[in-house]
Parts: sequence; C-alpha cells; structure tokens
Amino acid sequence: MSTPLIRVEDLSVEIKTGRGLLKAIRGVSFEVGAGDSIGIVGESGSGKSITLKAILGLLPNNAQVTAGKIFIKGVDASTLNKKARRALISETAGMVFQDAIAALNPVISVGAQIAEVPRFRLGQSKSEARATALKLMQQVGISDGEERFDLYPHQLSGGLRQRIAIAIALSSNPQVLFCDEPTTALDVTIQAQVLRLLLELRRDSGLGLVFVTHDLAVVNEICDSIKVMYAGKFVEIGGVDDTFNRPTHPYTYSLLKAAPDPEAVVSRLFTIGGEAPNLTLPVLGCPFAPRCFTAVAECGTSEPELRAVENSQSACFNSHEHKSWRAAEQKSGAL
Amino acid sequence: MKSNKTFYFGLTMLGTIVLAAIFAPLITRFDPIEQDLMTTLSSPNATHWLGTDAFGRDVFSRIIFGARIDLTIGILAVLLPFIVGVTLGLVTGWFGGRFDSFIMRIVDTVIAFPFYVLAIALVFIFGPGVKSMIVAISLVGWVAYCRIVRANVLVAKAQDYVHAATLTGLPTTRILRKHLLPNVISQAIVFSMSDIVLSILAIVSLGYLGLGVAVPTPEWGSMIQEGQPYLLQQWWIATIPGFMVVIVGFSLSLIGDGLVARLER
Repeated sequence: MSTPLIRVEDLSVEIKTGRGLLKAIRGVSFEVGAGDSIGIVGESGSGKSITLKAILGLLPNNAQVTAGKIFIKGVDASTLNKKARRALISETAGMVFQDAIAALNPVISVGAQIAEVPRFRLGQSKSEARATALKLMQQVGISDGEERFDLYPHQLSGGLRQRIAIAIALSSNPQVLFCDEPTTALDVTIQAQVLRLLLELRRDSGLGLVFVTHDLAVVNEICDSIKVMYAGKFVEIGGVDDTFNRPTHPYTYSLLKAAPDPEAVVSRLFTIGGEAPNLTLPVLGCPFAPRCFTAVAECGTSEPELRAVENSQSACFNSHEHKSWRAAEQKSGAL
Repeated sequence: MKSNKTFYFGLTMLGTIVLAAIFAPLITRFDPIEQDLMTTLSSPNATHWLGTDAFGRDVFSRIIFGARIDLTIGILAVLLPFIVGVTLGLVTGWFGGRFDSFIMRIVDTVIAFPFYVLAIALVFIFGPGVKSMIVAISLVGWVAYCRIVRANVLVAKAQDYVHAATLTGLPTTRILRKHLLPNVISQAIVFSMSDIVLSILAIVSLGYLGLGVAVPTPEWGSMIQEGQPYLLQQWWIATIPGFMVVIVGFSLSLIGDGLVARLER
C-alpha cells in the first residue's frame, strides 16, 4: 500500500488553561489515505477539533503537541520548519470550518476569495484565476457563479456560504479535506446537499474525507469508518456498519442510544448521565467508568487500551460482553 | 441615526475650513504677510472682517492661510505615524517572538514619557521648523497605532478566515495585506481622527512656544502668541485662532464618533 496522505502516531496535545494543564489529546493514532472517509465523533470537549488543528498546524499559542508524530505524505512534520510545513500541508489538505461566515473574510468578495489561491499561489493570470474560481463554484453546485462572484459573504445564505468555503478549501487542490462539523450550522435540506457534494468529490477525484462531528447520522451517511473519541482518546474504532449495529464500547452504545429515533414513541430522550471528566486532573482508570452502566472494579484503577473485538477495536475491559448489554441493561433497570 | 447627523455636521464644518484653506487666495484679497502699518489693531469691520493685528495684517486672511499650514502638518503628522505604526503592529502581532518583544519594549518606553516632554525635546534636537515638528510628532505618535493594530491582529489571527487563508498556502504578505489589514485597521482609523486633533494642538502649542513655523508665516499657534499682549483691548487677534483650533478639534471628534458607529457596528 502506498504511503498514507496523513498519518498520526500516538499524538498528544496539552493546552495551558487558567485551571492548569489540560490534556486535550492523550495518544491518538490514525491514518488517512486517498478516497478514505473517516468520521471522528464525540461530545464537545473530547478533543476532536484539537486533533484536526494539531494536524493542520493551527493550534492556538497556548496548546502544544507534547508527544507523538504527524506524517504528511510520509514526511515527519516535526522535522520541517514552519514555512515548509505550511507549504506541505496546504498542498495536501484543505479544511472546511463549522461556521462559514467566520471562515470567510468579510471584506473580500467571495469570487475573489476563491480566485486567490489560483492567482497568488498557483501563478495563474487574473482571467485564468477567475475562470478557475467559476469552475470551482460550478463544482460545488453554484450554477450562477458569474452573478455571485462579486457578492460579499454577508449577502449569501448559509448554504451558499458553506459551498463557497468548500470551494476555497478545494482551490488549493487538496487530496484530503478535513471537515469540522461543516453541516452543523445548516438546516437539514442544505446539509443533505453539502454532504452529497462532498461524496461526489470523493467519488470523482478520490478526495479523502475526515469528518469531525457529533452528528451520528452524518457519519452513517458519508463515512466508511468511524472513530469514537472520549476524553482525548479513541475508545472505539470500526467500520460504520459494524459500529452502528454492534457497538463494542459502552460509550458508543450509549451515544447511539441517545440519538433520537424518529419511529420510536418516547416521552423522554435518552441521555448519558454525568459529565465528561476534567482533563486538567490526572485520569485514573477508564475515564468513562463513572458514567458507564457496565463498569466493574477494575475500570476504576487501570485505563483500558484499544484492542480488537471482532471487526472493531474497543478500549473497554468488558467489550467481549457487548452482545449482552441490551439485556443486562434492561434487567438492571438502569437508564 | 443620531451619530450619522453629527458625522455629517462634523464633515461639513471641517470641509468648509479645508475648502477655505484651499481657495484662500480667492476668498480674501489681503496678503497674510503684507504689513499695513497705517491700519494696525483695527477692530473687525467691512474691509477687515476679523480686524487686523499689530502689524496691520488682516486676521481673517491669516486665519485661512494659517489653516493651510496647520491642517497640512496636522494630517502629515498623523499619516506618517499611522503608516509606520500600522505596519509594525501588523508584523509584530502576526510573527510575535523576539522582534515583537523588542518593538513592544520601545513602545512601552515611548508611552512612559509625557507626550509634550518628548515632542518638545525632539523639536529642540532637530531645530525649530515644520519638518522637525512632523518628525517629532511622528516619532512619538506611531506607538499608539502599533498597539491598537497589534492587539487587533492577535484577535484576528485566531479567526477561522485567517486559518482558512493560511491553510490554502497563500503567501504571508498577501494574508497580512488582504486578510488581516482590512479587518484590523478600523480602530486605528477612528483613533487617527482624534489624533489629528492632538497633533494640531501640538503644532499650535509648539508654534506658541516659538518652536514651530518661522514668523511671519501665518500659523494659528504663533498668531495666538502674537495676539497675547493685546488680549484685553484687541481680543480677536488671539482668540479667533484659538477658536479655530476648537472648531477643527470638535469637527474631527464628531467625524471620529461617526466613524466608530460606521466601522465597528
């Protein structure tokens, strides 16, 4: 197999906060190849966005990679200086941000923003760059590009803005597109359009997709594999079908259960009790144990590592019992 | 929309003065420098609208010719520090590191001095005159712009649109010029309005102290100084130039307030 476009090895990131050092990511490994579609899910603060930012070199000043390596097209990013690293990542990866209005420059017309990279990085002439921008707009489903070219971000609807943001991300011809909750700010119809667009791009040009979201339905729709993140670590890794049908980690199990089912008639939605652990404190045992329905004594003393369970990987001591969870849960009456 | 009205009011007042200064030779038939010792210290009348001074020079004519000097120097003495300060603020805010610390220590040092002490000392060093006034005020004035812009860059740097631009691999100069500058400059522009007031005040003060424009060139500060001995009998000689400073300052403040409302939203 060829070198993966992005490979992350045992990455750890710490953030300096007012309340002490926060271990935002505690050893995360994965790789992205051409045409892959990976979903990273987890609740807010689990470290999904920080993982993306660390890979892309966008960490804020108070955050630092403390361990692990990031390989971009096989090159260890830590061996590169800032400029070389930026050049390499910008020709490899693009990013679509959650909030398109914040990701677009308010004072430059959208057409000019898309034409910027062709014009000023790829060295095209003004008219060539304009043509490229119009082609990109066409590609992301904006048919009347000529008319929208000179509009400013605030003059466009949310869906159009996100398309523009995607067009900008694509303007540097990336092979991987990192998407940080790109559809959260959109309504469902626009969301479906944007997702379809991303899937088309993946099919047509072998674009690798990394999707960070807490929307399980989105992952189910467009990803092949899923990585569930909790307290700065992956707790379950697997194919989408396997994981959705047979979760092998109690957190994934609860997360899937918490997703509302349109056909079920329930008076109250299921929630996972408790809250995510404070990562400024040392983690003792499994970080999910206090909220877990199947925790045993061992969970409070040592932290489980990822290990193979059937087709998936799970960081749980009890993962081999996953088939009995539904029954056990009903019996105990918990949740 | 109250701020809109005051904005246009300020603009109109300042515009009138600027127009009067530009078309000064068409408005008055008196040479501002020419002495007429037969009509010294005359009170305002149909010929001399604002009277004459101790040398028989027409005060109105000196006021509008003086506006040319004071406004030009006032604007120049803001433009230069504006350019220097904004550029340094952009660069230090974006790159950080040692260069940033070095520049910021200079900024701290300059800010630690009272404005006039430093400005007057510098004018003494360079010798009185228009050029040294502009240089002195610029050397003191850039620090404010540097601080304002740097602070805004530090905020804007963490915005997604800057991240997005960085990620697409655009050259740094382009990111600074097109993505950061337009988004961080508005506060500096607003500040520059009140800064023009300050610099005109500084020029007038330096002129009053005899450190400014050489006599007999008409300039409001030196006019105030020359009119001082006659303040009780011929009050208009010293008071009207002072009044002009107030009007210019007032209209620039109104413009500044209006810009805040427009740019900062």
